[in-house]
Parts: sequence; C-alpha cells; structure tokens
Amino acid sequence: MGERDGGAELGDHWLKVGFVAPALLLLLCVNVFPLFYSLWLSFTNADLIGSGAVQSVGTLNYSFLFMDPRYAEALRTTALFVVAAVSAQLVLGYGLALCLQERFRGKAVLLTLLLVPMMMPPAVMGVYWKLVLDGSYGVLNHGLAFLGFGQPQWTTDPGLKLLSLLIVDVWMWTPFMLLISLASLNAIPTYIYEAAAIDRAGRWRVFRRITLPMSAPLVGLAVLLRSTDALKQFDLVMAITGPNDGATQTLSALLYQVMFRDGKVGMASAYSYVVLVVVIALASIFLRYLNHLQRRVGTAS
Amino acid sequence: MKRAIGPAAVALLVSLWVVAAADADEKSLTIWWAQWDPAAGLQELSQDFTAETGVAVTVHQIPWGSYQDQVFLEYGNESTAFDIVVGDSQWIGRGATKGLYLELTDWIGGAIDLDGIHPLAKRYLMEYPTGSGKIWAAPCETDALGFAYRRDWFEDMQEQTTFRANYGRELAPPQTWEQFRDIAEFFHRPASKRYGAALLSGRGYDSITMGFQPFLWAFGGAWGDPETFAVKGHLDTPAAAEGLQFMIELLKFSAPGGTNADYGGVLNAFTNGSTAMALNYFPFFPGIVEAMGDKVGFFVVPGHDGTRAISLGGQGMSISTKIPALQQALAKRFIAWFQQKSVQQKWITYPGAFTANKELLDSAAFRDAYPFNGTFAQSLDHLRDFWNVPVYNELLAVNARVLGEALDGSKTPQAALERLAMEHEMILRGAGLGR
Amino acid sequence: MKNLRWVLLAVYGMLSTLPLLWLASTAIKSRVDSIATTAKFIPVGEGLGIEAGSVRFEATLEGFRALGEIYAGAAHPYYHYLFNTFLIGSLSTVAAVSLGTLCAYGFSRFRILGERDLLFFILSTRFLPPLAVVIPILMMYRSLGLPNTHLGLVILYTAFNLSLAVWLMKGFIDDIPAAFEEAALVDGYTRWQVFLRVVLPRALPGMAVTAVFCLISAWNEYGFAMTLNNRDAVTVPVYFAGLQGNVQGMPWSQVGAGVLLFVTPIVVFTVLTRKHLLRGVTFGTIKQ
Repeated sequence: MGERDGGAELGDHWLKVGFVAPALLLLLCVNVFPLFYSLWLSFTNADLIGSGAVQSVGTLNYSFLFMDPRYAEALRTTALFVVAAVSAQLVLGYGLALCLQERFRGKAVLLTLLLVPMMMPPAVMGVYWKLVLDGSYGVLNHGLAFLGFGQPQWTTDPGLKLLSLLIVDVWMWTPFMLLISLASLNAIPTYIYEAAAIDRAGRWRVFRRITLPMSAPLVGLAVLLRSTDALKQFDLVMAITGPNDGATQTLSALLYQVMFRDGKVGMASAYSYVVLVVVIALASIFLRYLNHLQRRVGTAS
Repeated sequence: MKRAIGPAAVALLVSLWVVAAADADEKSLTIWWAQWDPAAGLQELSQDFTAETGVAVTVHQIPWGSYQDQVFLEYGNESTAFDIVVGDSQWIGRGATKGLYLELTDWIGGAIDLDGIHPLAKRYLMEYPTGSGKIWAAPCETDALGFAYRRDWFEDMQEQTTFRANYGRELAPPQTWEQFRDIAEFFHRPASKRYGAALLSGRGYDSITMGFQPFLWAFGGAWGDPETFAVKGHLDTPAAAEGLQFMIELLKFSAPGGTNADYGGVLNAFTNGSTAMALNYFPFFPGIVEAMGDKVGFFVVPGHDGTRAISLGGQGMSISTKIPALQQALAKRFIAWFQQKSVQQKWITYPGAFTANKELLDSAAFRDAYPFNGTFAQSLDHLRDFWNVPVYNELLAVNARVLGEALDGSKTPQAALERLAMEHEMILRGAGLGR
Repeated sequence: MKNLRWVLLAVYGMLSTLPLLWLASTAIKSRVDSIATTAKFIPVGEGLGIEAGSVRFEATLEGFRALGEIYAGAAHPYYHYLFNTFLIGSLSTVAAVSLGTLCAYGFSRFRILGERDLLFFILSTRFLPPLAVVIPILMMYRSLGLPNTHLGLVILYTAFNLSLAVWLMKGFIDDIPAAFEEAALVDGYTRWQVFLRVVLPRALPGMAVTAVFCLISAWNEYGFAMTLNNRDAVTVPVYFAGLQGNVQGMPWSQVGAGVLLFVTPIVVFTVLTRKHLLRGVTFGTIKQ
C-alpha cells in the first residue's frame, strides 16, 4: 500500500477533494440520483410515452410484482442461467488452464486466439450464432447431419432455447475463466511443488492438497465476477429469442419487456428495485471476499 | 501536448452536442414506416410531391421486428423525429387516447374524398373507437393475409393424378381448411426436404396473433365482445379450442422450426423452394414473385363451415402531435395529396402497394398490376382485425407467450385459451375497459 | 495423461475457433453463398465454375465493399456507425481512465473520510444491471436533451467504467513506491506536478490495461446504446442487431466483414498490452 499523507500541508484538503471529487460527482449524478428517481417512480404509474399526469399508486406495483408469475419465472431462469453458465465456464476454463501449464511453442498465439471470443460484441454475436444454430441453415446442424446425428431445433425448441443461450455464453466467456485460472496457477510458488516432489507425493494428492486450494481464492474471485456479469444477461437474449420468451426471459429481459414493450415505467421501476437489492447483497459478499483475498494473497507471498 | 488534450476534448464534446442539436431549416417532411416494399414505393412516389411543392420527403424504414418499439420510444421524446407515422392498424387506440395522433375528424372530410374509401378501410384504419366516426389516420396501405402456393407443383400432371387417387378430388387451391389440410399432408415429404405449409407462428410482435386469428374466427371463436370487453365465453370456447387444435395439426406439415416462424421465416421457407403453401401478408409477396415468377400462384385464406375470416393488415398515416404546427400543416398537405385518385392510381403500380379507394380496388388496373392483387381484392369482404385498444401491445405480448406454449405442446389448446382469456381480461380491466 | 492434455486443448481450441473461422469465411462469401442450404467452407479464387451443392465457394470481397453502401432500411452506411462507436468508445475510455486515475491516486495517497464505504460504493456500481437503471436515466436524459447524442453515451459509459478504472488504477498506483513523490515534494514541487511528472509515467502500463477493459466494455455495449441512442449517434452493435427482421434478410457477408473490422482495434490493443492484462483481470491482487 502506498503511504498516506496525514494532511499536514495546508490546502491539501482541497487537493484531496480535487482528485477524488470529479469521479464521485459523476457517479453521484449518473448512478445515485437515478436510483432515487427510480425509487420514486416505483410508487407511481408513470408511462413510457409520458402522456398524462403521473399519479402515485402507493405500493400497488410491488404487490403486483409478487403476483406476476413472470417475475418468479425470470428469477428462476436467471438463477439457472448463472449457475449453469458459470459452472461450465469454471470447469472448462480451469481445466484448460491446467493443460496450458507447460511452455510450448506457439503458446502465446494459442492463448491470444482463445481470448478472441471475449472481445466480440455479444449483441452481434448473438445474432450471428442464431444463424449458426439455425435449425435448417445452421452450420452446426449441417455438421451434425454429416456425423449422422439428428437436427435439433436449437433456437425454436422451447427445451433447447436456454441451452442455445448457454452455448453462446460459455463460448464467449470461458476465455475469461481461463485467463484468471492461469494467473492463479502461475502464482503458486514452484518451491511448494518441489517440496511435494521430495515427499514423493502422488499427482492427484498434489492437485488436491496444493494446486486446488492455492488457486481457489483467485478462481473464486473470477466466479464472483462472472456471476455478477451473467446476472445482467440481456444482449444474447434479445438477439436469440427476443425479450418475451418464457424459456429465456432473464431479469433484464423482463425489465425491458415491462418498460419498453408494455410501457409501464412505474411497474418496471419496482421490478428493478427488487433486482437491485439482490445485486447490492451480492456486491457486499463480493467485497468482503475481495478483502479476504487480498489479505490472504498478501500473507502467502 | 498533454495539457492541450483536456480542453480539446471538451471543445470536441461541446461542438458535437451543438451540431447534433442544430436542425436543418429547409421545408421537409419525415415519414416513418416499416421496412418493406411498399415503403420503398412510397419514397419513390413522394418525389412527385416534392416536384409539385418543393417539400423534400424522407421515408425512414424500420424493420418490422423493432418498428413498434422504435415509434413509441420516439413518442416519449418532447418532439418526434417523424411528422407522419404510418402506424399499424392496432396502434390507433393507443395513438388516439395517449394524445400521440392528431385528431383529423374535422379536417379530413373537407380534404379528401371520404366516400371513395372502402368501408372496411374506414372502419379499421381510420377510426377510434371503432364506429364512432372520430378519425385519427388516413388510409395508407390496406392489407390482408393471403396464401402463396407452388403453382408448378399443383399443375404437375403426376402430382395431380396421385392426389386424385388418394383424396378423390382435384388438386386445386383449397376453399376450406379441411381441403387445405389434405393438400399440406400430400406435399409434406420431409425425406426429400419438402414441406406442406408454412404458417405464421412467430413469437415477436404480432405474427402468432395474425396467424391464429383466421382459425379462431373461422371455427366460431372471437377475441371478445367489442362492447362489453368480455373475453371469457368468446376466446375459451370449445369452438375456439378446436380452431387452435386445427392450426397445431397443420403445423405438423411445416418445415422444422415452423412452430416459431415470423413473417421473414415464412418467406424464407417458401423462397428456398421447400414449401408448397405459405401464409403471409400480401406486401411481403413481391420478393417471391421476383424470385420465382410463374411458379407462384396465390389464393384467398380458406374458411371453415361456410365462415371465411381473414386477418386484416394495413396501416394508416397519422400526424404526430409532437411537432410544430407548421410541420403538421405540411403533413396534412401530403396526406391530402396522397389520397387523390390520380396519386392512388400511381400508388398501386408499386409492388405491394394497395389502395383503399373503392373504385380502384374493383378496377382491372389494380387487378392486373401484380399477380396477387386480384386475390387481395377477393379477400376484402372477409377482413377482421384484432383489438385496437390502447393496451393492444400487452395483449399481443401475452398472446405470444401463451399461444406459443400451445404450439410448443406445453399446454393443451383448451387450457391455453382459458389462460389467455383470463390474462386478456386482466389486462383489459387493468386499463379500465369493461367490467 | 499427457496426451489427454493435448487432446483437450486441441478439441477446445477447435470448438472455440471454428465459429470465428466460419464468421471470417462468411465475410468473404457472396450474398447467395452465405445463406446456402449446404455448408460451404472451402474458398477458391474467383471465376472458377463451381457446381451447386459443392462445399467450395468463390471468395469475394463483396461483403467488405458493401459496407460502404446503405443497406435497405438503414439510414447510413456501416462506416457511419463505426465512426460513432469509435468516437463514443475512445472519448469515454479517455475520460474513464483519466478520472479513474485521479480518483485512485486520491484514495491511494490521501486519507479520505469514509474511504472504505466510498470504494465499496464505487465498486457496487459495476454490479448494476443496465436495464435496471436505464429507466430513470432515460427520463433524466430526456429532460436534458441527451438521448441520441454522442455526449449522452460518453457520459454514461464513463460513469459505468469508472468503478473498474478506479479499482484497477488503485491497485497499480498502490504498487508505485511513494518515495519518489516524497522526494519530489521535499524538493518543492506541488502535489499536482508530482502527480503529473512522477506518478503518471509509472502508471502508464496500468492505464493501458484499464483502457483496454474500458474500451472493450464501451465498444461492445448494447443495452444503453439501444435504448438511448436508437435514432442518432447509433453504434455498430445496435445497427447490426437492428437489421434483424429486415425483409431483404440479414446481409450476412456484410455482418461478417463488419464484425471483423469492428473487433480488430480491440484485438490489436489487447495484444499490445497483453503483458499487463493478467494483472488487470485479477483486480491487481496478483503481483507480477
């Protein structure tokens, strides 16, 4: 940690403020103020088109929220998506990182290539994957037909739609998990492995007792990061099935549907507030874990 | 260098803002419409208006999938980028009650020839509430659902003989849904990638609603009572369920993915040469004619038990209330110009462009303009429309979900319609309609 | 066991790269070939006759060329939208990195009241689903005339990238020994001069990494761009996604070409800063 100035110099207070204030001010305007505005909106019947006076409706929107089957459904779909996507990305990413432990020629090139999916715009890749997954024209089904398998209707079969979403998301973000897993594995000091070799420890034991626990904190960080990102899933849903599809309607898609299609701004604000509460809770867990991690990495090194 | 970056960036940002805010001051008119052939035709046609009046006209086209969203999002602004919006017939209630459309009742009688307009166009494209005489739009495009079919397959001698042998009838465009089913079954040969029928079943906007309606009405159901806004007893009757069941059966004769096909999907299924019959709105057909020429024929949507009911389509030109009075006057001028018989005569020469003018609709000039025009003219007497109440979009959204579940097989038709009726009533009551 | 490693790598590498290769091949296909019912994946030179149903196709730059034209129903050619993305992306990245570095320096070097809470607050903004805040932001923007402007999205992206920028830069700046600054202060330089001349040069690698992440985020953003800038100052993701439902079908070869062009600056930028990327991705908790 850098050293701190005790503020002994005169005029330093304003300097402090000068450094920190612009950012905080921007965040205040763009993040905090809208949150209060949203809270107010959630108690009204505000409309997207803005016609007519906005009236207070008390807690009507919130009670509607608990009755709306779409909300529970969206929570379920989002949770399912997050768990499935992040688990798959974790297993794949970590597994790949283990495979990439040695040096070999072209490793840097391979790594860069593996990272490219992460840099593509999800909204456009969603549309493109829709073509790839198309039941009749899609190259995936062409390949499956060639190999003698059937032709699943990836984007129209209600049982497969969420899977399609997962396929694209996993393709896109496994590189992220790979990157962090690599970093965590690389951070384990070699002398520990050497000590284990001296003790003639078996490979599986080494993995279970050394590799896994020591890389866990950082990988845990990656899981948290990816989970909070997956929670916001919107672009792919819009591209592949549209926001009104029961099989894939994540929380963000539902918010879009209520706000922009139904035009019910007041109700959508109430819906999003409940989402925000969940998100803040996760953020605190995240921060606590991050602090714990920093302390832990600090003591390990 | 580093010091200069800050102020330079600020200057750039400010200048961007200023440039964006500045308006062009010439006289011009902006029209928003969906992206399809008739809109391109309107753009070309309006060059005549520009020649006459010196007012530049831009027709901004937005793909159907996002058209509704874009228009109503735009309406949330203080002023809209468009002067005229060619709004879908269902939007009229929303436009009227939320103060988005300029009321034209007092002006329009004097500006255009109301008597020359087909009564159905007047009823569904111009008025809200229906039958009240209050007018919010002038007809731009009258439209209906129709079928395109592979005439070359129907006229093939081999096929005709086989069909006659199997079904005891001639192979010809069907008049009833039962006849339709037979033909679809006959041409459904998945092994050779041939399919019988492509129906509208898409889950975005209104595809599935428009696709289901003909079955709903032909089998004796209805969306609800237009006076009392009662839905139960109309939508969830056994007759309606029978209609939905029939549609689901027919979808078995469609290409894979046919249970979730929107307007573009149905078009594709037909133009890739695999499907015998495809249901769509007529203005989508010019592309087919261009691609397949004589191989394509058209027929009117079939009926059932003597009832033939066809989904109306069509859009009317409405003037935005969120523009300056000068622009509104210009818009009125355009609308009055467009409705003239001479202009309508030129209008119908564009692919997919349909008029609402009674006389022209009956004329040979209209029928001969395009291969499907005659079929459209025949469909006119059977047209019906969906709800045009202000909350129509919520009704459409819930249709997409619940009817979609029936099509996917997760709900029986009866259960789906009962659920749908309940949701419709909730939405309508929530909007203050009915008791 | 060792061979398993190579097998896994090869299989995954293939699965991961195939869609990209397919995208690249789509970019050099003609319109007709891009939607053909049989897969075509072997490009050959132009002018050679190819039978129908073959897996070969004529490679053509038609997709790239068509990017300069206006596609049916769009208001501008692709390059207009690419310019918008570039403008909005780079301006917001510069702003986010600048403000973030300033803020991070303040938190790192000074004792600030409520620091932990403030930092938590800053971090938590990253977790906000855009769709949850777009409602009030849209209403706010409308009253300020900011929808459909470049400025509007620049402000928004800067704000939403700030959390990442502050946290990343704090990690980097914390690692810069304060001794140099102390020495300079003793020599009579002001704090601001010290910041500019002593700290910034050393923080440059960190700023580069931060810039990469901010750029990727702003470049590919869709939720806000679609709802706020739907008519003017439209970015590429919104443009391409909005072509769906076009009666003429999606121009797949153009989309392929456009995406390749779109992604290139990001890839180049990432490759240039790859040495420091790992550090950034782990929020600076790993020291290298």
